[in-house]
Amino acid sequence: MSEHDVDTRPMIETHDVKKIYADGKVAALDGVDLSVSAGEFVAITGPSGCGKSTLLSLLAALDGPTSGTIRVGSYELQQLKNADRFRRQEVGLVFQLHNLLPRLSALGNVEIAMMGSDRPRAERARRAQSLLRDVGLTDLSDRRPTQLSGGERQRVAVARALANDPSVLYADEPTGSLDSKSVSTVLGLFERLRTDHGVTIVLVTHDVAVAASADRTVHMLDGRIVEP
Amino acid sequence: MTHFSLVIGNIWAKKARSTGIALAVALAVMTVVTLTVVSNGLENAAAAVLTIGKADFTVAQKGVSDILYSSLDNGQVAQIQSTPGVKSAVGVLLETERINAANPLFIEIGIQPSDLESFGVTILDGTAYGPDAPNEVMLGWRAAQDLGLHVGDQFKANGTSNTVVGIYSTGISYGDLGAMFPLPALQAYNRVPGSVTLVFVKVVPGLSVAKVQATFEAAHPELTTIRTASQFGRADRNLVFLKAAVTGSTVLAILIGAVIVGNTMLLSLFERTREFGLLRAIGWARSRVVALVVSESLILALIGSAIGVGLSVAVAAGLESLPQLNGVLHSSFTAEAFWRGLVVGLGMAILGSLYPAIRAANLTPVKALSNE
Repeated sequence: MSEHDVDTRPMIETHDVKKIYADGKVAALDGVDLSVSAGEFVAITGPSGCGKSTLLSLLAALDGPTSGTIRVGSYELQQLKNADRFRRQEVGLVFQLHNLLPRLSALGNVEIAMMGSDRPRAERARRAQSLLRDVGLTDLSDRRPTQLSGGERQRVAVARALANDPSVLYADEPTGSLDSKSVSTVLGLFERLRTDHGVTIVLVTHDVAVAASADRTVHMLDGRIVEP
Repeated sequence: MTHFSLVIGNIWAKKARSTGIALAVALAVMTVVTLTVVSNGLENAAAAVLTIGKADFTVAQKGVSDILYSSLDNGQVAQIQSTPGVKSAVGVLLETERINAANPLFIEIGIQPSDLESFGVTILDGTAYGPDAPNEVMLGWRAAQDLGLHVGDQFKANGTSNTVVGIYSTGISYGDLGAMFPLPALQAYNRVPGSVTLVFVKVVPGLSVAKVQATFEAAHPELTTIRTASQFGRADRNLVFLKAAVTGSTVLAILIGAVIVGNTMLLSLFERTREFGLLRAIGWARSRVVALVVSESLILALIGSAIGVGLSVAVAAGLESLPQLNGVLHSSFTAEAFWRGLVVGLGMAILGSLYPAIRAANLTPVKALSNE
């Protein structure tokens, strides 16, 4: 492809991805083919242990597949030389347990994702403030995670995930520990990300109602994508 | 937020762990700095003997365990005097005696009155003793001051009462804290007739001291020459052994300290597995994680080193005040001692934190994040 050609391929594409654990005895993923368009919001559902989170960790280059190919944007993940840089520049991650560092303020938790990026220190702080404003936490930027509600913590985690302008956002059960009001807030944030910033979102959830807010739902069972 | 503020925040957040590491470093640094300043003090005290005569170099018997055990006879002194390039050679007997509790190693110098001038002695009060005068002594002005004695007073030493006939100055503190006796008298007191400890040599002006020294050593393999404190080990094996012991202790302190630091850092790594997993997940490079862990350790090492140096000052002062060591031990806090302490502290930190840091950096994010 020349530099003037427009890449019309899907944003995320996997082919026959397998992930085998325990010396070949457990197949967490057993030949997954998935395609997600740029700017699409896809929910992955399925019972516990079906391989949803494993698939997400492979898409984020947190782990490597046993076989198969994964492409995210222009990155062929199996050929990735610097997975850290890929995650820092292209991927935003939101976890069920938010995983905020308890001794840092909300602002620090957002800013820490930008350490190692090319942004100067002052700009990092400005951007972290701006992101916290976007998720409605301007007044709580100096609070520590223990001083925030579950929904507020998850909003900080979303702000952190967006710190480096990722092209894709992966969220693993982001609403699993939230009350209904916080669920709506977080889903509203995702929707805004997609519409305002064109971020591609892949969300893993058990919750049918949460999955319904996505453009498309992919169902998994026993390490495979199946028809719902 | 900067790397530094993050490091400080992490240290502050784990006060017990941080205190443990800093204390381990402080104890190791204290041990090494104290050993160094004590050995430096002993070396300086021993080497001060050489400075009294203001010589270009000093000749001693080779390979003795203590320089005061060096023994040269009159014939050797004459040979030294006749060596080409030697302007003067003054044979001096050096002994130490316990005068009182404050002076357990009072220096006594046996020297002929005819050699006093070339030895750099100035009479401040009274006169010099006669060459064979019995029971006459000159006191260094500092010694006279400390002992409260004046010309005409009696000074008890070597089991006899001696009349103080003069007060002298050598311009060297160590020499001015002792007493001078006629050489034959001090030889007789110590039952070493015809023997001197050291020969203080002055080279003919204009000649190279190093060349004369080298020529002399080649002609007299049984003797050794000393020009600087660093050459002192040639004639005093005890100091060489002491220095080797200090170096060995330094290495041991680094190794033992590194194990303590490493153990504590590893425990900390287990506590912070999720944190490191998260940092890796959000794109922190391995090198950045290593830098974070090592930086925390280095900051604690610097704090520990400062505490260790403070403790070493207190311990050295405590050792000096012990009755057994009073007047014997004079700690010498040199830049080398502080550098050595810093090397120990930083060495412990780097050695101790590197393995935990690399383990932290190599954590698989997925596994680390699922750690309970």
